[in-house]
Amino acid sequence: MVSPHPVRLAVEDDLRRSRLTVFFRLLLAIPHFFWAVVWSILMVFVAVVNWVATLVAGRLPAGLHKLTAAYVRYLTQLFAYLSLAANPYPSFTGTDRYPIDVEIDEPAPQRRLITLFRLPLAIPALTFAAVFLASYAGGSYSSGEGESPYAGATTSSIGIVWTVAFFAWFACLALGRMPMGFRNLQAYGLRYGAQASAYVLLLTDRYPNLDPVDPLSTGPLHPVGLAVMDDLKRSRLTVFFRLLLTLPHLVWLVLWGLVAFLAGIAGWFAALVTGRLPRALHRFLAAYLRYVTHVGAFLLMTANPFPGFTGTPGRYPVDAELPEPERQNRLVTLFRIFLAIPAFAVSSSLYTLAFIAAFFGWFVALALGRMPRSFREAQAYALRYGAQTNAYFWLLTSRYPYSGPSLGQPEPEPEPELAPTPAELPA
Amino acid sequence: MAAYLLWPTDVPADLKLPSVDETQIFDAALLDETEDFERFLRWNDIASNVVLLVVLVLFAWRGWRFARESAAGRIGTGMLLGMIGLALVWIAQLPFAIAGIWWEKRYDIVTAGYVEWVLENWLVLGAQFLFICLWLLITMALAAPLRDRWWLAAAPVFAGLALLLAFLTPYLVPDQRDPEPALAADGRRIARATGEEGVDLKVQEIGDLTEAPNAFAAGLGPSRRVVLWDTLLEPPFDRDQVRVVLAHEYGHHESGHISKGLAWYALISLPILFVVARVARRWGGLYQPRAVPVALLALVGVSLVVQPFDNLITRRMEMEADWVALETTKDPDSARELFEEFADTVLQDPDPPEWAHVWFDTHPSIVDRIAEATAWENRR
Repeated sequence: MVSPHPVRLAVEDDLRRSRLTVFFRLLLAIPHFFWAVVWSILMVFVAVVNWVATLVAGRLPAGLHKLTAAYVRYLTQLFAYLSLAANPYPSFTGTDRYPIDVEIDEPAPQRRLITLFRLPLAIPALTFAAVFLASYAGGSYSSGEGESPYAGATTSSIGIVWTVAFFAWFACLALGRMPMGFRNLQAYGLRYGAQASAYVLLLTDRYPNLDPVDPLSTGPLHPVGLAVMDDLKRSRLTVFFRLLLTLPHLVWLVLWGLVAFLAGIAGWFAALVTGRLPRALHRFLAAYLRYVTHVGAFLLMTANPFPGFTGTPGRYPVDAELPEPERQNRLVTLFRIFLAIPAFAVSSSLYTLAFIAAFFGWFVALALGRMPRSFREAQAYALRYGAQTNAYFWLLTSRYPYSGPSLGQPEPEPEPELAPTPAELPA
Repeated sequence: MAAYLLWPTDVPADLKLPSVDETQIFDAALLDETEDFERFLRWNDIASNVVLLVVLVLFAWRGWRFARESAAGRIGTGMLLGMIGLALVWIAQLPFAIAGIWWEKRYDIVTAGYVEWVLENWLVLGAQFLFICLWLLITMALAAPLRDRWWLAAAPVFAGLALLLAFLTPYLVPDQRDPEPALAADGRRIARATGEEGVDLKVQEIGDLTEAPNAFAAGLGPSRRVVLWDTLLEPPFDRDQVRVVLAHEYGHHESGHISKGLAWYALISLPILFVVARVARRWGGLYQPRAVPVALLALVGVSLVVQPFDNLITRRMEMEADWVALETTKDPDSARELFEEFADTVLQDPDPPEWAHVWFDTHPSIVDRIAEATAWENRR
């Protein structure tokens, strides 16, 4: 039994949002920006002191622990406020209770060797934290006398939490509520960010946990799911050559994708006219979508075996579960392509996470012959959301993708009542 | 019959190559250096091929076990086994390939870094994976209805694919550019002289990777092209020597060598595929993915066996292209100087041992090429 992580996220948010504060959220946070910068500069020095103190004493002294814990809580609360994961204005001390809060255990002994190499060990964790919480926009521009009088390039990258926040801003303004899936996804990112900062700042030597599954925050049922029957074991040889082994599938994926695109257009017209996707097209597009999931799972090392080329259901350890054809709202079908844009944006962010997990997982799987469970779960989450997004886009379902990490489980079928045995019969 | 028709060349059948004494042309130090240089590469190649066969034998013996890594069907599992076989070969041959690069870097023949080279090699492996997947897709799909006679249908399919690839090759060569005006003018003149006016001339920029000079003719019909490496446009090669190279490459087009090469390929692939089918039959035939490892061994083994014959055909074609170049430029002196430069610039052994010549060389030896130029001169 694995003990709970010493840094945990407590969510007591009711999803209600004030439209006014949502609208001005960034401006309202300006005082916090200043305070966060000052506190962060201070924490650079505190981190060095923490490192030396933990190396010497084998645990973080109580005073430093309290200060550092307050900083981690403060940053998490501030990010929760900024990203609309929580509603109330946070305090400046990181000590008051907040709807999205961090619980940090008391100081515990830490292994000195891990403390000594903390910063290099934290590189994967910091990379994952950056995928969740960092944002970057940069560019270069040059104007010269060469052949091209103008040359410019811009690059930008935005973390998952902020991608969700962008779309959540509109949703909150329209509904006065935060969609639960968005909030739960942000909570996942905030939890990982808090655990990563706690690890770097030496509050704990327990590595951050990428596993998105949180039994306490299950979401609704969804017709598109992901069946994972993988035992985490990986063949080192196929892991080493994974990218190249996927090449024939990528070629086939492109060819099939071209036909699926045409089938999708035909299906869209058919669904507009008849109110449902014709069964033959549904079957064809479902097979394509399952195949996309299989290839994604193989490429990302979410599963081990080489997948087939036909998208047959039940043949791969990571498989998309897709619904039967159903009636669909024509108006939603008409605007499906635009409605799917937020889901595609979130899906693309989650795939970034999955690819980073595959990058680090590649080394781990080569060394151990196993994929870390938390990596696999994070990737499965990305694949599931990707499958839901694609199923929505390709008209296989009219249910919008649910972005939270945990789906609800269907109620178990009631046990059939057994006929009483003769011994139980009344005399 | 087809072989009989394909065999003749424009080189006069009664041409007697005069005896050429390499020590009269090259100084002893250069001869020693070229011999040392090629000896290492030759033995490195032999060792690499031995390892290749050993790995494939082991793979044929135990490779079937990798089928457990597959959730794919019959053909997909076959593809996985084929790719794993090539991957194992790649791993086993990598040290030899690195040794070869190290040796060539030592003599300044290759300028690319090791990382760059390994990356490129990795991409080549990717292309090999795609090739073997296509090969297995065709053979295993044909094996379903035709069982052990799949090779009869596969040979024309592969010939068709080779035809397509030959047509597309000029468009797949990276870093091509138009030639400078003077070179373009030379190209036009030679194209006219050889009756190949529709054939484009391009320069490939490759000087960052290697110092070796090279050129090639590629394409079929409207895609025909002559490509010159930019390494040929630098000293020590002069304009007359480049003209000889151009005439040689246009000579390939004039003599229809690419079409003839395809015809030879179609001809040779038939018995090769037959042998593969026969060998695979003992493991259930290529219908079964279980037979893929042994089919791979048979394919590589037979290809190695016919390699000397392949080399003989290409050497005859190169000899013919040299002859066309001499007829076109009428400049045997530049031709001789060009061939002599090959010894100096790429350390090609002017007169390699016969066995090595038969096994490895796709071109006539420098001594033979010089002799051919002299023979052409003597006939005038």
